[in-house]
Amino acid sequence: MEKHSNSKGKKRQREEDNETTEILSLENNLMFSDTLIALRMMHGQFPKLDKISIHPFILRSQLYSSVYDRTQVDRDLESMKEDKVLRIFKLNTGQDDHAIMFMEDYINQVGIVEKRMEAKGKDDIMVFDWFKLYVIASKLDPSIGHHELCSLLSLGGKVKDEHITLLINAGLLTRQLIDPDMYWFAIPNIGSVLKGLSQGRKELLSFLSRRKYTEMLLALLEKKRLHMSPLDMRFHLRDLIGSGKLKTVPTPTGLLVRINKD
Amino acid sequence: MWKQVGEREVGKLKPHSFANRIKSNRISSLQLSNHKEIVSAHRGAVNSLQVDLTDGRYLLAGASDGSAAVYDIQCAARYEGGGLVAKHESIFVVDKQHEQGHKYAVSSAVWYPIDTGLFVTGSFDHYVNVWDTNTTQVVMNFKMPGKVYRTAMSSVAKSHMLIATGTEDVQVRLCDIASGAFTHTLSGHRGKMMVSGSTSNSIPGSQSSFPKARMLHKKAAYGNGTKHTSTTHKNKGSTSQRLHPGMLSSHDRATAHYGAVIGLKVCEDSMYLLSAGSDSRLRLWDIESGCNTLVNFEATRLQTSKGIQLAVTQGSSLVFVPCMSAVKAFDVWSGRTFLTFRGHYENVNCCWFSSQDQELYTGSNDRQILVWSPSRSVHAEVDERGGEALMSTSDQDNWSD
Repeated sequence: MEKHSNSKGKKRQREEDNETTEILSLENNLMFSDTLIALRMMHGQFPKLDKISIHPFILRSQLYSSVYDRTQVDRDLESMKEDKVLRIFKLNTGQDDHAIMFMEDYINQVGIVEKRMEAKGKDDIMVFDWFKLYVIASKLDPSIGHHELCSLLSLGGKVKDEHITLLINAGLLTRQLIDPDMYWFAIPNIGSVLKGLSQGRKELLSFLSRRKYTEMLLALLEKKRLHMSPLDMRFHLRDLIGSGKLKTVPTPTGLLVRINKD
Repeated sequence: MWKQVGEREVGKLKPHSFANRIKSNRISSLQLSNHKEIVSAHRGAVNSLQVDLTDGRYLLAGASDGSAAVYDIQCAARYEGGGLVAKHESIFVVDKQHEQGHKYAVSSAVWYPIDTGLFVTGSFDHYVNVWDTNTTQVVMNFKMPGKVYRTAMSSVAKSHMLIATGTEDVQVRLCDIASGAFTHTLSGHRGKMMVSGSTSNSIPGSQSSFPKARMLHKKAAYGNGTKHTSTTHKNKGSTSQRLHPGMLSSHDRATAHYGAVIGLKVCEDSMYLLSAGSDSRLRLWDIESGCNTLVNFEATRLQTSKGIQLAVTQGSSLVFVPCMSAVKAFDVWSGRTFLTFRGHYENVNCCWFSSQDQELYTGSNDRQILVWSPSRSVHAEVDERGGEALMSTSDQDNWSD
């Protein structure tokens, strides 16, 4: 049963890949010339997750591995954030992890969560509309202070503590331990994916470090499957290369992926 | 290359850009020197390196065994390896055996900026000594309240001879050689201090083991001779306020790094400041506005126990940063890693780039000072020294004639 669904998944992915990109190998697809092109390509290549309904997101470290100039990536992201094309979220899986999501996807994601909350029979649903209208539209940073949140939400109506609790329960806001007064924007339904992300990273790094020379050809490596993570190998490879834990070395037989010992 | 010489001759290429092209070609081929070595006279980790600013000929090094030594980097003491490797030895060493020498580690040694007649050493024995180079005697010393971590002198100051020192104590002290007294005490930090002097203005910047970097301006008012300080400070991403004159309140603190600030370097005619932090980040700050320029330098592990000395090329295109046991060269404006220099066995503490010869000198905990120079082919070397008899062995061949 499991095998059958796996093969079905691969076939579907191959067809989808054939439609969007002719080249399947990561080696030819590693570097892009422009941030927006890189974002759109990686958006299209986001792995399909069966049980979790989540729209594609891209990690910042993946962008760093895909575009040559990091400062240019930063500048482009800032300008796209100002133009409200995308939103940047700070993740709690590492020191500098940020996730980037296109604005349409994020609004759809908020809509999914809103419907789920409505189905559960919770009242105070209008706080989601206030959130979409006032908070997301005006606050572009990944975090927001308590007072500012209340003042922006109260542009829609009277804000109670239960409203904020509802937003936190829906997964749209979280708190991180450093600062008790700040709420951080989060992508709802992302919890299991983040767990898979950190476990997949560990698995890939331990797999490479157990090898005799801690290295492997990229063409062989990307065909492997990760057991602990629902995200595919290409996602993790881009992320680890961009964050500096792995480095690619050009060889006559192709790119070689090696653990960075610096 | 010859085409460029011809273009310069007819005037198509400006002499300045011709020189810059050759310099940047040489810099991009920097590698561990195969023709030049420095014989280190130190028995402890090398903490500080500086080549003198006037001749570019003498390298001053301070080490953890209390020794400070001067090396001649242009004339070799002897040749080895069939005349191919030049060994540069120390001209003199002042160490614990010297009656006025330091008792503990020398953390910083800098030349007097005007000429090589004096140099200043700061040490963990709480003293800053001013030495006369020719007689190797201490002409003046200053007692500090704590271990001295760094000393700096301004290289363009015409009206003063002040040494800025950063110590264990939380204040920057300015010592005057002319009078022998402390002229200023600049406070504002909460942790241990290290000071880096700017090369073209009398602006010392100070960093501390607390995550702030603070710039201290010293402006001399005309006429009445009073000096007042104004401070500028940086905030991550947001704009800063500049206060006049000399008012420092507890609200003026801004965080530059998540951990301690480990190294500072002023570049580009005191327009920009580079700071390296123990959070593995390098940041470039605009001094005038106090803003982070948000250039993304790749995160690299930096040592947290000691401060590091950064170096910039003339014209500030590359910055050399000691990262654990390697030295990395980053492009200042785009943040890309340009070159990596691996050669030391242990953590590198200091580096100095000599723009005259395009050579990099690095000192590390393994007591060695390594020279990194542009690659030079052996045959060119042989032709140059045809006159010396040292070449005879490599000129001989095995034919029976």
